[in-house]
Amino acid sequence: MSGVGGRSIRPDAAAKVQGKQPYVGDIHPPGMLHAAILASDQAPARILRLDVAAARQVEGVLAVVTAADLGDKNRIGIIFDDQPLLVETEIRMVGERLALVVAETPAACQAGLEAVALETEPLPGVYDAEHALDADAPQVHPDGNLIRTFSVDRGDLSSALDTAEVVIEETYRIGGQEHAYLEPQGCLAVPAPTGGMWLYSSTQCPFYVRSAVAKVLDLPLAEVRVLQTPTGGGFGGKEDYPNEIAACAALLAQRTRRPVRLLLPRELDFQASTKRHSMTVHHKLYADSSGCILGVDAEVIVDAGAYVGMSTVVSERANTSLVGPYAVDNVRIRTQVVRTNNLFGGPFRGFGAPQVTVVHECQMDRLARQVGLPPLQVRRLNALTPDRPLWSTGETIAQTERLGAVLDALADSEVMTDSEVMTDSEVMTDSGVTADVHGPAASPAASLVEDDERYRQGTGISVFIYGANLHHGGQPLDRGGALVQVQADGSVSVAIGVTEMGQGALTAARAIAATALGADEERIRITEVDTDMVADSGPTVASRATLVGGRAICDAADQLQARLLPLAAELLDAPDPDALVVVEGGFESPDTKRRVAFEEVAALLHARRENPAAVGWYRSKPRDYDAETGQGQAYMFYSFGAHATRVRVDTWTGKLEVLSITAIHDVGRVIHATAIEGQVEGGAVQAMGWACMENLSLQEGKLMNPSFADYLIPTAVDAPTVNMVFLEDPEPLGPFGARGIGEPSFIPGAAAIANAVAAALGRPVTTIPLIPERILNMLGKE
Amino acid sequence: MSAPAIKIRITVNGTVHVTDASPTMRLLDFLRNELGLTGAKEGCGGGECGACTVLVDGAPICSCLMVLGSAAERQVTTVEGLGDGAGGLDPVQQAFVEEGAVQCGYCTPGLVMSARALVDSDKELTDEVVRTALAGNICRCTGYKKVVDAVRKVGAAAPDAQATSDHSKEQP
Repeated sequence: MSGVGGRSIRPDAAAKVQGKQPYVGDIHPPGMLHAAILASDQAPARILRLDVAAARQVEGVLAVVTAADLGDKNRIGIIFDDQPLLVETEIRMVGERLALVVAETPAACQAGLEAVALETEPLPGVYDAEHALDADAPQVHPDGNLIRTFSVDRGDLSSALDTAEVVIEETYRIGGQEHAYLEPQGCLAVPAPTGGMWLYSSTQCPFYVRSAVAKVLDLPLAEVRVLQTPTGGGFGGKEDYPNEIAACAALLAQRTRRPVRLLLPRELDFQASTKRHSMTVHHKLYADSSGCILGVDAEVIVDAGAYVGMSTVVSERANTSLVGPYAVDNVRIRTQVVRTNNLFGGPFRGFGAPQVTVVHECQMDRLARQVGLPPLQVRRLNALTPDRPLWSTGETIAQTERLGAVLDALADSEVMTDSEVMTDSEVMTDSGVTADVHGPAASPAASLVEDDERYRQGTGISVFIYGANLHHGGQPLDRGGALVQVQADGSVSVAIGVTEMGQGALTAARAIAATALGADEERIRITEVDTDMVADSGPTVASRATLVGGRAICDAADQLQARLLPLAAELLDAPDPDALVVVEGGFESPDTKRRVAFEEVAALLHARRENPAAVGWYRSKPRDYDAETGQGQAYMFYSFGAHATRVRVDTWTGKLEVLSITAIHDVGRVIHATAIEGQVEGGAVQAMGWACMENLSLQEGKLMNPSFADYLIPTAVDAPTVNMVFLEDPEPLGPFGARGIGEPSFIPGAAAIANAVAAALGRPVTTIPLIPERILNMLGKE
Repeated sequence: MSAPAIKIRITVNGTVHVTDASPTMRLLDFLRNELGLTGAKEGCGGGECGACTVLVDGAPICSCLMVLGSAAERQVTTVEGLGDGAGGLDPVQQAFVEEGAVQCGYCTPGLVMSARALVDSDKELTDEVVRTALAGNICRCTGYKKVVDAVRKVGAAAPDAQATSDHSKEQP
């Protein structure tokens, strides 16, 4: 089968296995210069002296640029105007840019960096987000350390407090994560012959890059052209940060009038680029003795680092997602986004949701244990249903029977079926519970099996709700285009405004175009984003590539079918063009069952000199939402999913091994089977890395393990088996019924592992990642 | 500072190169910058990610860690040296394509080279053997399942499938 639901070979696979795909580091135009960044190795600090005179004299160096050279164009903040491109006087984070060097060779760049004279004076820093708002905390910026507070206020929490028979109160500390895309950040800036600037950028968001460069160079948007290069992984790490790299390269290209390439060395990429936010969540869950949740009271502190970047919007998703897929009438959430001198918090697959999913799912297991219900049962008891569809935003969630289907699939999963056999193990001791315990604290929340003295196995589940596409706060960005051209030979050219970063956006777009047009999938060419070809389509984030690209392609296809169908009817001698059926590779008359190939119709379209191109467009409908109370329609639509995970813990070494994961996803419709499996397998393993091994070790804001030797991510040996269940209940607003999968694939991973570890060890988990020393701490060992 | 240039003889993808170059130049830089073979990627520069893997006398090595002097008088095979030379894919490459083992693709050439070396060995390609052999190649996209499937598929294919790859067999 080709088209939607098929398994066609992805269009870039052959070039990639042959090493022919030109990433930005592989592009070397004549006269190209090399750029490098002088980055701070301490923060905060005040610059006493930054003397680049000697660096400018180094042989091969063409220019050295500091903030003093940029005047009022030294601004790079994407939402808040709080961030300079180059440090002016005060260094606020380690890795921050002090100067840029551009030279004929990388060696000359290095010599230039070494010739800069720098003297600084250390300042008192903020390294603990939980104390960033203390009265005596140093101020990272003059306007204070509190960036913004997001809230959810629903119902009356005091009524929950009065009637609650069970209160589960806990503080969770969830660590950050490095994206570890295999291709480091990079950009090639080429001065356009006519005076503008072309950027060859490794990015998820070419339109963000265009805006950032236009601002720094003071050029009209139309004079800045961004051509996305094949992007070696993104995961959110190439959402806003590529703006900074592109702006640096563009400035140097403008000054030298030559192409300039800036590639970030891995160590600096580790230190300076954005990371998943670390969060502290203080959570109080109120329930009755039967396990029904009466209220949630939570305070979240999000460590943004020294600049806002995209921390506010990430925090908004965390704030909205915190209750989970449950019907809770009384909710109070305060999410404070604070400044520190730690790593730069930013977007990362899940966008704040994975952190709070760990919290709400660990709390659900604690609740189950308290009231003596199996973990799945306590979730069923509280889940959103068609009878109880009101979420913590106060909105009615549509088609909640899909969540029921997810829970049913969870019950059927191999891990759960096995675990029923093993539920008679020892009772878990839960040190964090209140004395106000009702009901038997007997039956363990998840299965326990003891291999022997040394190894212990456990099973855990997690369930989540995912707001698809951008939050209400990001809706001004939510639109996108596609340019579809039918060629005279029946081949098709498609340009889209969403990016391929490995996830399969081009593959999905091609399958959708094939099915929508009736064209031969093998003869459709999807072009990577060129900002001159398609209008601003917003960022490729929030699992929106298939939705936005797909809907825009479908819109263009509808316009083209209005021209193609009459011609097909003519060729088929069929009376009613609108009655024709678009089939694989052409059109069919429903009466005669005769078919005409797409190529023939395309040839006739051109012979008649009809317009063979169409611009498709997508935009979401406006929604009502009150950001003050967190009430309203936060997202366009929602998907659900779950993980069931089995782990084994070595109680001697603290090593945590994930044995298997069953991933259940409510995807609406599988657009491309191979691509969706790749997303779910990859997302689950990336989440496993975050939960088990990926530890950002910080000392006064400096990353102490900025390499793959010291910051461990999963290898082939670590990766568990991922069993997948795709539930296909079509989404009315999605292309061919599809809902995005990129972020959902990650979201439940760590939560299920945390619950599995809690089950294995009989102790609550309150932190991520569960590196060996933390496991040993849980066991009371050094 | 790099050492002064000396005459170095090296065979890359079957072609003998005699060049005046610094023996301390990284093999990766020689391949990418001097020969224009950009298939091997730099992911970390420290031998930790495997994206720059090439075969030297048939063994997979990180070309960011080997200096040109150490590669002198040896046979180097890069990803460009696989296949039939006319655009046809090596069985390992073909399996990666068919199994969906490719996502962003930045780690792919390195993975392909490590897999090629494994397939050339006499080892039985069990799941464990394949995973161990690929443990030096980090992939952040795929979760490895389809990569492992691809390599095992080559192992399960007809024995003569391996003969189509002629890399690093010829003498200088």
